[in-house]
Amino acid sequence: MSQQATLTVEHLSVSYDAGDTPLRAVRDVSFSIAPGEAYGLIGESGSGKTTVAFAMMNYLRGGRIEGGRILLQGQPIQDLPKSELRQIRGNKVAMVYQDPMSSLNPGIRVGEQIAEALRYHGIADRAGARARAVRLLADVNLPDPEAMVDRYPHQLSGGQQQRIVIAMALACEPDLVIMDEPTTGLDVTTEAVILDLIRELRHKINASILFISHNIAVVAKVCDRVGVLYAGELVEEGRVAEVIRRPKHPYTVGLVASMPSGTDRSQRLASIKGSLPDLTKVPQGCIFADRCLISRDVCLAERPPAIEVGPAHISRCLFPDEAQDVIQKAEARVVAPARAAGPAETVMHIDDLKLWYTRRRGLRVWHKPQPVRAVNGVTLDIEAGRTLAVVGESGSGKSTLARCVVGLVPPTGGAIEFHGERLGGRARQRGVKTRQRIQIIFQNPESALNPQRTVGEIIARPLKLYNCVEPSRIDERVAELMKAVNLPARYASRYPHQLSGGEKQRVSIARVLGTEPDLIICDEPTSALDISVQAAVLNALSDLQARHGLSYMFISHDLGVVRYISDRVAVMYLGVVVETGPTEAVFKAPHHPYTESLVAALPDLSGNGEKPEVRLQGTPPSPTARIKGCVFASRCPRKVGAICETTPPPVQNLADGRKLACHIPVDELARLQGAVPAVAVG
Amino acid sequence: MKRDAGFVLSAIFLIVIFVLVAFGSLIAPYSATEFSPSSSLLPPQFPFIFGTDEFGRDVFSRILSGASFTLLPALAAAALGVSLGTITGLVAGYLGGRGDEIIMRLMDVLLSFPALILAMLIVVMLGGNVVNVVLAIGVVFWPRSARLVRSAAMDIALSEFIDAARARGESTLYILIRELLPNLWAFIIVDFALRCSYGILLTASLSYLGIGVHPPTPAWGLMVKDAQQYIQFAPWLVFFPCLAIALISICTVLFGEYIRRQLATPTRIARA
Repeated sequence: MSQQATLTVEHLSVSYDAGDTPLRAVRDVSFSIAPGEAYGLIGESGSGKTTVAFAMMNYLRGGRIEGGRILLQGQPIQDLPKSELRQIRGNKVAMVYQDPMSSLNPGIRVGEQIAEALRYHGIADRAGARARAVRLLADVNLPDPEAMVDRYPHQLSGGQQQRIVIAMALACEPDLVIMDEPTTGLDVTTEAVILDLIRELRHKINASILFISHNIAVVAKVCDRVGVLYAGELVEEGRVAEVIRRPKHPYTVGLVASMPSGTDRSQRLASIKGSLPDLTKVPQGCIFADRCLISRDVCLAERPPAIEVGPAHISRCLFPDEAQDVIQKAEARVVAPARAAGPAETVMHIDDLKLWYTRRRGLRVWHKPQPVRAVNGVTLDIEAGRTLAVVGESGSGKSTLARCVVGLVPPTGGAIEFHGERLGGRARQRGVKTRQRIQIIFQNPESALNPQRTVGEIIARPLKLYNCVEPSRIDERVAELMKAVNLPARYASRYPHQLSGGEKQRVSIARVLGTEPDLIICDEPTSALDISVQAAVLNALSDLQARHGLSYMFISHDLGVVRYISDRVAVMYLGVVVETGPTEAVFKAPHHPYTESLVAALPDLSGNGEKPEVRLQGTPPSPTARIKGCVFASRCPRKVGAICETTPPPVQNLADGRKLACHIPVDELARLQGAVPAVAVG
Repeated sequence: MKRDAGFVLSAIFLIVIFVLVAFGSLIAPYSATEFSPSSSLLPPQFPFIFGTDEFGRDVFSRILSGASFTLLPALAAAALGVSLGTITGLVAGYLGGRGDEIIMRLMDVLLSFPALILAMLIVVMLGGNVVNVVLAIGVVFWPRSARLVRSAAMDIALSEFIDAARARGESTLYILIRELLPNLWAFIIVDFALRCSYGILLTASLSYLGIGVHPPTPAWGLMVKDAQQYIQFAPWLVFFPCLAIALISICTVLFGEYIRRQLATPTRIARA
């Protein structure tokens, strides 16, 4: 790199004040980004990646740069006075945040929000700024930019809002754009569209990009080089493809191996045991040593230097060539669960289930509101000892379906049969035995456990409620259950806030296991967790299924996870199941056009071979809309014509046990998705 | 955790107050009710450090003896109001929908009366004695506490652990008392502290208006009322009871605020 780098970070250290001893969030981090380059920074929660991002803008609330330098085009920024910093922010360095809804001002038209920065930095006058805003909106592929500039943020979808935020960032033609998890809050299909946009923009603009994410697959899609951040240290750095294919640090190895989409489903996911070290007491040696499966005494003595392990590939591990052994060592300890084959008994049959909400507003008694059709005629079977995954994006009704099944909301129509017996709408109307045998694990471990109860009390409660064991044996049983989910027995007296996210989720699992259920509804049980922790939870679920013959209904938006854990999958869109079938078959072409776009949106770690990509445009119709034809018609890239809007699609049965609802004959779908390259709607 | 000065001061002061309530009339150097015409309307001086009133009664002694007449009704009224409010708010917040609507509109009816007017109305209707004063102020506080507890309960009722309890088939009573209530203590305690200080002001106001207590009871509000005619030449008669009321109100609020912060800490860690 003979050119001057856009951004150079030299030995950056940042601390936060936390009581008596400072929390050393970032320590000795160095990297540089060349003009036009996209640099990815990966790390899990607590790795300090967002701190690094804010340090670039010299905008650390409560934090302090302890050492090192940040050079923007050779100019150190941390000593600049406030007035000059303001000139840099937005103008030379721009930022895209995670949540578009909170980075846009809800009371100002989006065009004005873009124009404001242009005027502030004296780039354009009032009329010029507006014209420029329209052009920027066209650049980020928003339809009808002339009309779009006068909209308010709430009139746009999440994906459109994020495009506005990106347009704002690009407004002043910055030299560096910092993107902090720009797609994390979005649906998978929207995420794919935004990532496409970022890739496309990289060719149009000259800016360097610092892309921060917890998802390696996403970074692989848009970045040239990547740095892996662990507990505030940069442990590995190199070209993206190189780091993913040949990681040379045990942490990176674990991270890559714990991605479900990168793993064959017969294999186990490699989770990383333990948790982040306490950064108020930074250990002397290698920061990862206490969780590393190949660490030795030397690792504890001294912090490993940055070792060149390949062309432009650096690892802070003393034994970079042995890093791959971590996988074997992790796998040696656990047996891969066997997958049951052949037909199985049906545990639960859901028949034409409907759940419509009617919301009355104010006093308009004579006005009959349209119901929200959250679940609109779903028929599914759950087989004994198997996992049925229900996939869909936000608003598809998958969580409502789960709440219906456990009796939290009574359905408006249809029936749920459990072992051939029809279930009451509310949990309290069901028999004790039935309630005991259908259990649910929730999405958010932070809110699923009562903060005022100890772990022991939480796990013991269902045992007492259902009289699962004699009162004198409860403590014993709690200890057994905690052991089953790999929680140390001493945690029984702790409160939830003293546990990490993954541990809390395991408490939730232990709580439902105690009742010896037949069926567990898992409502996005890993979506709030870090990838390495997610792997541990998924492994625990697989093990327990193999050991106890449990059936799961696994609700998720993450196709990678679904592909790994499920036997059958049902794809939901707007309250309707559009396709069901055995998981592997569904992931193979041909699919329902909606499934096709979901599969295409799945970030692929292998990185080789551009698959034909289908992208979804627009937003789902309002859930109160009465749809006569196919629910997906308004966004379908393969819509055949008026018939899609007027007639409900027929259900087509495929040879491999799949069912899909589409007007296009299966043979035709196969031809469209196989031979002819898909119409890429960008 | 850093101890802040406000907490230390208010804690010390509150301890002093408790001593006063319990032993006030014993500590008081003079009688609170006995006349002593020879020493009437003396400005603050030794041994009458707060001066004396028109009947020669020592103001300091009267404030000490009167502490319990002001504080006990206030405390009881706050306890009554917060208890009623907690029950109503808990039920309304958890049930939601139509039940919530009915309960809260009834509360709004109570809330539409100005606090003092409603309290006066009730005391005048039921007859002027201390029990009715407590009852009246309790009713005034009821809808206010109910609103606060309801909004907090609604928030927590959305948590997944409540869903988990419902899916297990727990009874409503179990969910209200064992799952919801323990998470509301922080709000309830702070609310109680605030109600105590408002209660002190309200009892003082009522006694100032001559409702509920009768001379020669040394209730602070009554002392201010009787003294206001002398305000031009014996301002200490008004000043010291007012000072007592103000100090106690401020300290209760500070103390409640401190407790709230202490109780809020674990939840904050959980969210971070």
